[in-house]
Amino acid sequence: MSRLLGLAKLAACLLMGMTLATAQEIPELVKPDPKNWLTYSGSYDSQRHSPLRQITPSNVHSLAAVFAYHMAGQRNLEVTPVVKDGVMYISQYNRIDAIDARSGNIIWQYQRQPLNDGAQRGTTVYANRIFVTTADRHLLALDRRNGSVLWETAVHDNLQLAGGAPLVAHGKVIVSGNQPNGFIQAYDAESGKYVWEWHPVPHSADEPNARTWAGESWKTGGSPIWLSGSYDPESRLVFYGTGQPNPVWSGATRAGDDLYSDCIVALDVDTGTLKWYFQTTPHDVHDWDSEEMPVLVDAVYQGRPRKLLLQANRNGYYYILDRTNGQFLHGTPFVSQLDWSSGLDANGRPILVPGHDPSVQGTKTCPSTAGATNWPSPTYDPATGYFYVVAQEGCGLNYLESSAPDAETGYLESPREHESWQLYVRALDALTGRKIWDYRQIASHHYGPGLLSTAGGVIFAAEELGQFSALDARTGKPLWHFNTGDMLTAGPISYSVDGRQFVAVASGTNIFAFALPRAPGAGRGR
Amino acid sequence: MTKVFPALVLAALATGALATAALAQRAPAPNPNPFAGNAQAVAEGMALYNRSCTACHGFNGTAGEFAPGLGQPGRRYNRRSDAQIFDAVKNGIPGSAMPAGAGRLSDEEAWKVVSYVLGLRGTAVDAPAPGDAAHGAEIFWGKGACGTCHMIRGRGSLIGPELSNIAGMRKTNSILDALTKSDHRVFGDGGAIPHTLLPLATYQRVRVTPAKGAPVEGLLRNEDSYSLQIMGMDQQLHLFDRAGLRAVEYLPGSLMPSDYDKRLTPQEFNDLLAFLTRQAAGRETATPSAVGDPD
Repeated sequence: MSRLLGLAKLAACLLMGMTLATAQEIPELVKPDPKNWLTYSGSYDSQRHSPLRQITPSNVHSLAAVFAYHMAGQRNLEVTPVVKDGVMYISQYNRIDAIDARSGNIIWQYQRQPLNDGAQRGTTVYANRIFVTTADRHLLALDRRNGSVLWETAVHDNLQLAGGAPLVAHGKVIVSGNQPNGFIQAYDAESGKYVWEWHPVPHSADEPNARTWAGESWKTGGSPIWLSGSYDPESRLVFYGTGQPNPVWSGATRAGDDLYSDCIVALDVDTGTLKWYFQTTPHDVHDWDSEEMPVLVDAVYQGRPRKLLLQANRNGYYYILDRTNGQFLHGTPFVSQLDWSSGLDANGRPILVPGHDPSVQGTKTCPSTAGATNWPSPTYDPATGYFYVVAQEGCGLNYLESSAPDAETGYLESPREHESWQLYVRALDALTGRKIWDYRQIASHHYGPGLLSTAGGVIFAAEELGQFSALDARTGKPLWHFNTGDMLTAGPISYSVDGRQFVAVASGTNIFAFALPRAPGAGRGR
Repeated sequence: MTKVFPALVLAALATGALATAALAQRAPAPNPNPFAGNAQAVAEGMALYNRSCTACHGFNGTAGEFAPGLGQPGRRYNRRSDAQIFDAVKNGIPGSAMPAGAGRLSDEEAWKVVSYVLGLRGTAVDAPAPGDAAHGAEIFWGKGACGTCHMIRGRGSLIGPELSNIAGMRKTNSILDALTKSDHRVFGDGGAIPHTLLPLATYQRVRVTPAKGAPVEGLLRNEDSYSLQIMGMDQQLHLFDRAGLRAVEYLPGSLMPSDYDKRLTPQEFNDLLAFLTRQAAGRETATPSAVGDPD
């Protein structure tokens, strides 16, 4: 049967005349040129580390804004722009703006009607293609040189795509979504043809994970998937985090572990087959989804070279897994306020402290529902060996609306308004989770933006209320800052054009780009 | 002439729009909501709302993780009438993440949710407290000494919150709490996620000691990792870079007294509340003479 299918696929490929193009790894994605930033996380391993080293702790004080590009009609941009060969591509739902990455001048714009200002977080360049997720259940490939639509595919099963950036791996465009329940789908990057789907919540009682949901509670199981993933070209596995089970804050109707909610999963890139899973929060009643970016690192761990997967999870634990098989190697809290669990057992399963289920009168739990960290990306710097994460210290109240088994629920982020959270940029020893330094972001109390590390030894860390800061990667000492004048809820990137290193970040409705000043008069033309 | 013409057209259009709006106000279409103003339905609507809408919106109408609060004073609402909100509840909002709720809520339930949502948006001036507002103004400027920190339409002090539109921003309960409780909610939104940069909603007491010179005490208007903006007790704005400071102390407690129900007689307190619940910018109230100060 499978052989027949294979033959059919081969025939289809031949018919389309793209035997070679289909399912190919693109070298520039496997080993990106440091001058480009081609994917959401900058590289398949999601380290968000730029090998560029022009900007250093000793010269970053003279970093200056080069341009601000206004993304008209949008709001609160959460997008990570991508850059290839001097052109920056900024995506939203239904939209891509291509601009000169040196000057901010617009080159072309693609706008599918209508304008949509939902949170869409990025896209990927694949050869001369760039991908658009639409608000009306379509996936598009554009020619990155002029915005021409190369193909347009209705999303399989008419599902709505979430705002996570598409990931292109082994010739597949991988996208995800939430409604009605979580899913990951793959499309052929050349043709747009649907290839596979994987869903964390069973679609029938016959699926093995259905046993981990009481009765038929899997039918409304949730587990949204709304962030991009990571990819290991060697094993051809993609790694994604899955979302929380439904109902969100009440587990009464869904006794069991509710697999594969709140998991890190490894899927075969060609078939979508689940290779392994690791569940961070079994039977979650706090909305601690496991979407936080899985970071892939090859390192000597406890005396032998290992292929690791690192994740700072919303539930407050920092995990180290073997990414070849999902084996739990180490886990430790990375926030000081964690009261729902007293530790992890040998398999990484949390040991619960009783009394933290949401209640009608409200139950205080630390971290809060928004978590010890959230979607803003961490970064890993191979030079320091540190894993940098935006840590959210704080607690929350979780409510049940009534004592009925199917009661709906809610939450408050802090038990008392003046006990708001405090955000930190926190450097951890990547192989132990031990805290190295903290940088307190004064007045940042909600969802820090993502982080960027650079080979120059500078960490770029935006602050929620508009300050874009540069920190010393080794000490956390602030070296430079710039007030963008609007909310910052996006992750920064670095790229270079004509040998000049830039750092860029979205703030409010603008993209800001920074670089070291050039000699007076340099670059002046007629 | 050609230059003037577009302005004239615009003016005519604007006047036309205003006239239409005024007409609409005078002869409103009958409200289709069978529960408009029904307190029991509002309470039921709140329960339905907290059961059906809080996956995205926050509990009790606050902002949630995926959707905005529905009773925020600073927000301009696209959908204001009962019918418009009913449409959003039943049919969703196209082009946004707001889904159609028709399958989950009956029409009757949806109208109750509408009544609740509209109730969330009301502020003190929609139902001013009874009492002698003119006498309340005398208390405000006199015995209550409110003007030593607060300002209303240019009169008073710069230190505390400006109160010219307090009844248009806050609910009566919130104003009552401010007069009688030390730990009161100072902003109506209660939302989880700030979406725009706004001045601080709190009035944190702070003492800053510069490298040289005397400490400055006042109320924090803003701060970040690199600077502080402080309204001093001297009614002067003080701007500091953190780098040059010897100390920043956050002082406990509020400058605002919380015993007005004790330092004033019940009559005086009620009249002060009557005055405060009528302070709304650009709104006519039942007793226009009570607006403004008696000078």
